[in-house]
Amino acid sequence: MTVSCKLCLATIDPAVLIRNPLIWGILCGSVALALLLPYRSRQARWPGVVMGILGTGLVITGLPLELHWSEAGLFYVLTVITLVSAVATISMENAVYAAIWFALSLLGTAGLFFFQGAQFVAVATIVVYAGAIVVTLLFVIMLAQPDGQATYDRISWARSSKTVSVITAALLVTLLTITLEQVGPSLSAPTLPTGLLEKEHVALLGKHLFTEHLIEIEIAGTLLLVALVGAVAVLIHAKEESSLDSISNDE
Amino acid sequence: MNEVPLLQNYLVTSSLLFGIGLLGFMVRRNMIVMFLSVEMMLQGISLSFAAWGRFHGNWDGQIMVLFIIAVAGCEAAIALALILVLVQRSQTLDVAHWQQLHEDGQSRFNEPSVPATDPSRIPWPQLTPAGIEPETDPEAESHRKRI
Repeated sequence: MTVSCKLCLATIDPAVLIRNPLIWGILCGSVALALLLPYRSRQARWPGVVMGILGTGLVITGLPLELHWSEAGLFYVLTVITLVSAVATISMENAVYAAIWFALSLLGTAGLFFFQGAQFVAVATIVVYAGAIVVTLLFVIMLAQPDGQATYDRISWARSSKTVSVITAALLVTLLTITLEQVGPSLSAPTLPTGLLEKEHVALLGKHLFTEHLIEIEIAGTLLLVALVGAVAVLIHAKEESSLDSISNDE
Repeated sequence: MNEVPLLQNYLVTSSLLFGIGLLGFMVRRNMIVMFLSVEMMLQGISLSFAAWGRFHGNWDGQIMVLFIIAVAGCEAAIALALILVLVQRSQTLDVAHWQQLHEDGQSRFNEPSVPATDPSRIPWPQLTPAGIEPETDPEAESHRKRI
């Protein structure tokens, strides 16, 4: 893997890199994130939003899309919904707003799955994530954090660590994108989808799942059961301890 | 549809989603938002799996996404239970509270001072009064105090 990465990075032409709007979009987006993430005051929020719009536009013009305009428009809308609400999720000060933006981001991801023809996965994403996890999460927020706008939500570690984190994330995404740009042209003649886009999509998926991946299904089921028992055990244990604590405090 | 550009678009989107999730996990201190960021990273990886599955024309990508969803469900159950336990112990969602677990020789994170919240900046919802106040039953009031 290291060898392939070295090969990819060795063949980068800086001129090509500078002309690539994707790279500039990622740069603008990282500046926007650095401004948007909560640190003490909200004054940097509007410049951050402007930089974010600029970055999103640049990323979109940089995406290679050889589709009919209606399909391309749909893809752009879904991507923008997913990414913008993802950014809003991590930059909201109030955890309830973050959870709701996360649900919107999940809907965008589900739309992207639909766009690709992965119907069952899209519906499962909506049902499991937006239906179960986000609702549970809102309950936990209700139990754990009655008042929003706590100090730890308004400062995210220190300013330097925030900047370093943004730079790290931007570098990671840029490297992934560059590698992709290098690999892209060498990808030859993709296999045409077999059965992925047929009418009996879910039936075929189920057939594949329950014949070739039967053991994995069993393991996943066991894992779910163990997680359920584990979660209940953790809470029961904590409850016993806290009641013991309150008894000892009373004495 | 042209398959190679489609794959490239999905991979760029998934790497951006993964990067945003990673950033949220590193920067935020609220345990719930950190948990959301982890879920967002899982979403990015799922998108990438589904795109490669489509490109190679087999089902394994989508099946991997299904297993990712199952594991994410387990992770959510245990993580939320642990968050509840930690909140019961410390009365805060701040991960910096738990830095007392640090090793010897590590410096503590010193919290920068935060300006006090201006109450007028907090957006409370403005509800317009509608209808008339219902008559309350005094008998019900005696045993249901919340009404």
